[in-house]
Amino acid sequence: MDYRAKVGMRFITRRKGSLIAASLAVSIAILVVQVNSVIFQGLYNAIVRDQINYRFGHVYITRNENFITKSDKMLVNWLERIPYVEAAAPRLDSTASINSTGSGQTVRNYDVPVIGVDPVLDAQASKMYTTVGDGQYVSSRNSIVLGSLVARDLGNPHVGDSVKLKFKDRNGLDQLKRFTIVGITQTAGSVGLDNSVIMNIDTLREILGRPHETQSIMVRLNDPTKDQVVKDLFLNAFPTRSDNFKAQTIEESAETTLSGFRSGIALINLVGYFGMMSSAFAVVTIQMMQVTSKTREIGIMRAIGSKRKDILMIFIFQGMVIGAIGACLGTVFGVSYTVYAKETHITFQGSLALEVTYNWLGILQTDILAFVLAIVASIYPAYKATKLQPVEAMRFG
Amino acid sequence: MADSVLEIRNVDKIFGEGETAVYALKNVSFSIKKGEFILIVGSSGSGKSTLLNMIGLLDRPTNGKVFIDGIDTSNLNDNQVSSFRNSKLGFIFQSSNLLSDLTVLENVILPRQIQRTDANATEEAKSLLKTVGLENQMNKYANKVSGGQAQRVAICRSLINKPAIVLADEPTGNLDSVSAQTTVQLMKSLNRKLGHIFIIVTHDRPQFGDVDKIITIKDGRIVDDEMMEIPTVN
Repeated sequence: MDYRAKVGMRFITRRKGSLIAASLAVSIAILVVQVNSVIFQGLYNAIVRDQINYRFGHVYITRNENFITKSDKMLVNWLERIPYVEAAAPRLDSTASINSTGSGQTVRNYDVPVIGVDPVLDAQASKMYTTVGDGQYVSSRNSIVLGSLVARDLGNPHVGDSVKLKFKDRNGLDQLKRFTIVGITQTAGSVGLDNSVIMNIDTLREILGRPHETQSIMVRLNDPTKDQVVKDLFLNAFPTRSDNFKAQTIEESAETTLSGFRSGIALINLVGYFGMMSSAFAVVTIQMMQVTSKTREIGIMRAIGSKRKDILMIFIFQGMVIGAIGACLGTVFGVSYTVYAKETHITFQGSLALEVTYNWLGILQTDILAFVLAIVASIYPAYKATKLQPVEAMRFG
Repeated sequence: MADSVLEIRNVDKIFGEGETAVYALKNVSFSIKKGEFILIVGSSGSGKSTLLNMIGLLDRPTNGKVFIDGIDTSNLNDNQVSSFRNSKLGFIFQSSNLLSDLTVLENVILPRQIQRTDANATEEAKSLLKTVGLENQMNKYANKVSGGQAQRVAICRSLINKPAIVLADEPTGNLDSVSAQTTVQLMKSLNRKLGHIFIIVTHDRPQFGDVDKIITIKDGRIVDDEMMEIPTVN
């Protein structure tokens, strides 16, 4: 081993307090970045996951400024012939005024979003059916599933109770219909359809007077990376020019929800990296202390022939040791937290479960950055050390 | 002067400037031949350590020149001075000045490692340590040996690169009388055996007995520079 590396290693490892403090400063900075990444990237991924599962699928097909008038069965059949497509399901959106009757009294009367779904296809293309905690998913023509927020506002009706919904059909006429509640749906963080009611799409079409119309088709893929391929295939088969279709990947369809969140993640990461900068200041301080405490030794080494660059290398090497140990510790802490968060499906105050992924590239980038910062932070103290004159260093060290 | 290893020619060293300027050395000249054992003596503040620093290239003279092995050291840059110190000079300081984070053996080898000629360095270092009776202490950390032992380690370190000149600044100043006497005898025997020049700054002139030359400094000037015979202290 080069003597500079050996001396640098001895200097730092024989001052365990300095080594531990400096390495912890680096590792905690890495941990902060990791925890930020796990929480906020996990939250982002969870929102994407739930938007896919409950609202948009991997590819979301609509028609620009109008209802889809082509047969939904034909479109679904066409889509399901693509090998990457697992399932596709039509939906129709509307609004209705809702009230329920309990103990002879009408409880609330207000507008709610209404989602019409195909009971069979929707269970294949979405995961909404899994969110029904009480009762079952939509089945027969007059059944309805209430979102948990709607149910709460209606005074928590039970499965088997009835609700009345008043719609405006395509001609502007009121259509009043009574439904039997078959289930209550609830999603963590209320990112699903908690503020809506779900009913059979054919019933809704009939009420609205739109017997063959569809609002959207959500397409679930068996390989989510092929979303762009499926989108392009669809738009090539049904050109926008003639059919006026619009097909979007999840990133596009949920853009409104996700864009703000992405900015938030960038900001949080920036805070994490500022934390890393503060760890660099800690390394500078500890290295300066190290130089001060080793003044006499530096003088001796200069006296017996070490050049300034040798002294520089000794303290730079110390920075490398601090950076390497700090990066290793930080990775261990960070990965441990990631494993914990992933295995426990960590949630915060009943919100949605984080979708934690192992971002090895991100971890590596953070480690390299921390390592480089520890070295950079050592340059100034090392430079100061090289400026010591041997006579003064030995006299005053 | 042709056979002199060290030549100091008209050296001045001035600290400060203008009205606060102080002459630490004034017009100092002398030369030393191979194998000589020299004492530099004088009262505190007389300039003897400053002179040693000039010889050791740890400081540069304000005026004048220092020649070692015929080389004018004033023309050397910082890196060359470092290499020169490493290869031509050995240092022994008052408080042994070992690196406490290295073992005794590692301290002795260090100048060779700096020189990057560390083949056989371990064997040579062990041999030197055996010469000074420290073969059983070589794996101890430097801060775990006594003052006398540490000074012997410093002597070994100063000799590992086979320097032309060994410089010692008050090498016995921090030692008890027994250790001091052992150290003196060791330096003298190594001088006789290996032929290195030893230049020793000391307050304690009688402790060194017979030497080849004594340079007496007073107020930065050499007041006496001749071959002397000192009565051996009993």
